[in-house]
Amino acid sequence: MAKNFPYGGYMGQLLRVNLSNRGISKEDLRKDWARDFVGGVGLTARILYEEIPPKIDPLGPENKLVMMTGPVNGTMIPAASRSSFCAKSPYTRSFFHSIFGGFLGPELKFAGYDGLIIEGRADKPVYLWIDDDRIEIRDASHLWGKDPFTTQDILRSEIGDEEIHIATIGLAGEEKAPYAMILCDIRAAGRGGMGAVMGSKNLKAIAVRGTGSVSVPNMLRVYNTAVRINELFATTPAVQGLSGYGTPRNVAAMNEGGILPTRNWQTETFKGMKNITGEVMREQVVKGDRACFACSINCTKYSVVPKGPYKSVINGADYETIYAFGSICEVDNLEVLCKADELCDHYGIDLISTGVSIGWAMECYEKGIFTKKDTDGIDLRFGNADGMLQVIEKIGKREGLGELLAKGTRDAAKIVGKGTDRFAIQNKGLEWPGHTCRPFPAAAVGYATGPRGGSHHDIRPTAEKSGLVDRKTLEGKGALAAEVNHWLILGDSMLVCHLAEPIWGPLKISDSMINVLNAVTGWELNYEQARKIAEREWNIIRCFSAREGFTREDDQLPIRFMEEPVPEGPMQGSYIPKETLERLKDDYFTYRGWDLKTGNPTREKLSELGLDFAVKDIGKGN
Amino acid sequence: MARVKVKSFSVIRDVLGSEVVEIDVRKPETVGELFEELVRRYGQPFKEKIWDPNSGQMAPFLIKLNESIISSTLDIDHKIKNGDEIAIIFPIGGG
Repeated sequence: MAKNFPYGGYMGQLLRVNLSNRGISKEDLRKDWARDFVGGVGLTARILYEEIPPKIDPLGPENKLVMMTGPVNGTMIPAASRSSFCAKSPYTRSFFHSIFGGFLGPELKFAGYDGLIIEGRADKPVYLWIDDDRIEIRDASHLWGKDPFTTQDILRSEIGDEEIHIATIGLAGEEKAPYAMILCDIRAAGRGGMGAVMGSKNLKAIAVRGTGSVSVPNMLRVYNTAVRINELFATTPAVQGLSGYGTPRNVAAMNEGGILPTRNWQTETFKGMKNITGEVMREQVVKGDRACFACSINCTKYSVVPKGPYKSVINGADYETIYAFGSICEVDNLEVLCKADELCDHYGIDLISTGVSIGWAMECYEKGIFTKKDTDGIDLRFGNADGMLQVIEKIGKREGLGELLAKGTRDAAKIVGKGTDRFAIQNKGLEWPGHTCRPFPAAAVGYATGPRGGSHHDIRPTAEKSGLVDRKTLEGKGALAAEVNHWLILGDSMLVCHLAEPIWGPLKISDSMINVLNAVTGWELNYEQARKIAEREWNIIRCFSAREGFTREDDQLPIRFMEEPVPEGPMQGSYIPKETLERLKDDYFTYRGWDLKTGNPTREKLSELGLDFAVKDIGKGN
Repeated sequence: MARVKVKSFSVIRDVLGSEVVEIDVRKPETVGELFEELVRRYGQPFKEKIWDPNSGQMAPFLIKLNESIISSTLDIDHKIKNGDEIAIIFPIGGG
């Protein structure tokens, strides 16, 4: 076990870097907070609740960017390589967690730190070099303006180590574009503008080299647990297929089921689907498979378009790429989708928000709200592949139409007016991923009440869309959404990968998840204890939002989903009317013990969870 | 006996060898009997893509029966008839 730390899996130490005064300090991880919030997102929410005053400017020096690992990272447990970047988001304006896989999280632990807290703002571009105990804030003037992969190449060369792991922003992050992302080696902390927060601090990159290891109380127990989890991955039907096809395995099946969002969600069946499936991708562009640290799933695909106008090399495409640029924009050319993915990485922008914003602009154009004067001369009809790629470039450079779309659909619709908010596919400002809620009530209330809005990692529609529960009834859906919240947030605190959903969930925190946590930490949590941790984590995040002024009224769905039924296909007629959503919210808040009027945790609930300190901020009036 | 068309994707398509296969389903001509027949015909490679070894039952997934959606867990006794088209909407997790 780490020196002076009683629990396995932890390094027992946080690294704090103040870029304003170039202060660097190492501090002990609080044992009580580790026990109460585990790590990752839960622990960061507790830290930021303590350290960030309400109502600050997310792009000001008062905001803090936290990279946090979990106790499971860096052990031999598979699908446990994730790490989180958290901050107050400039995009959703509340606490945001953006999760990424790969190797950077374990590497930070090998360097000796459970997490990294970045404060203040450098007076000129810098990067952070973490080499075990040795920490340096270095000049990054020569990196400013460079794309993420070029930046990584330069850093590996000048540091002289090909195996360091690097988080870096692109041009969009430097420009503080609202949905700028952080590229972490080849994986992305894509959502919520964490790249903009990093850029606001004049921090171009974080490079890490660690040579230590993670200690656990009983190596044989961890080994046996890892073997068991790998067996489950190999034999569980819903995990199979990720190795061969990655997440695009879903494209054809979802289209067949009438749940592939298409044409800016005007429908959920895409006629051009057959050209952009996981199967076609495997045959035409995939050249290899890549895995994250210690993972046996190999879900990342390495794809190459070797020549032609869409020549590109990417780690993808993922399902979300195919959704955001394929079915949403009605582009059925796989090579174009690879190029779109590459451009998003090049500029450092979130591909979901980018694609959905372009889909919104295409609908504006086809409805006559935009003319070519608004689109910089581009004939921006659905299906115009080259036009779509041009607009991605414009968003990356914040030129012309790109300046508007870089704000995201919520703010762009406010500027344009003319009812365009009715087809802005976002809630709480975050554009939606490619997983519908119109036929799925638990998913609907989960999306609406989730801290991030349009994130399929605050809720999973899987139980309803697999038929594990009856999708047509409203009964029990508040409870289902809450228990799905719980396995997700505990997973984001340990930090394990949601792609192994049948193992960690899918209805509630599973025995497998608890077994992993207990094996690594040496704790002996039962289900109720694990659930209480997760509930505490979910409540502290809700408190953060409430303190920022969010209420029940902010728990909405995109207007389209409340007013427009799916027009065709097997899910024809499905939607979530406003009154149904309100009923679901009542059910959810009641199950959670939250105030029905405000949607805030009650004084009693906060006390029950040991969050009494938050009562003064949000408990008034409950 | 009902002859039906079965459509599949990804790893299940790989086992069945084609996106669409025709299957003769014996009485009682139900969804459950269709999957029993698929197991008889394609053996263990198919079964391990469908059956959850931990529960010993079929994993949860959606089935498109002509233009309606049913589920493997709730509708196993659903009747099928000659000429039906069935799509296995599975797996749909992740992403």
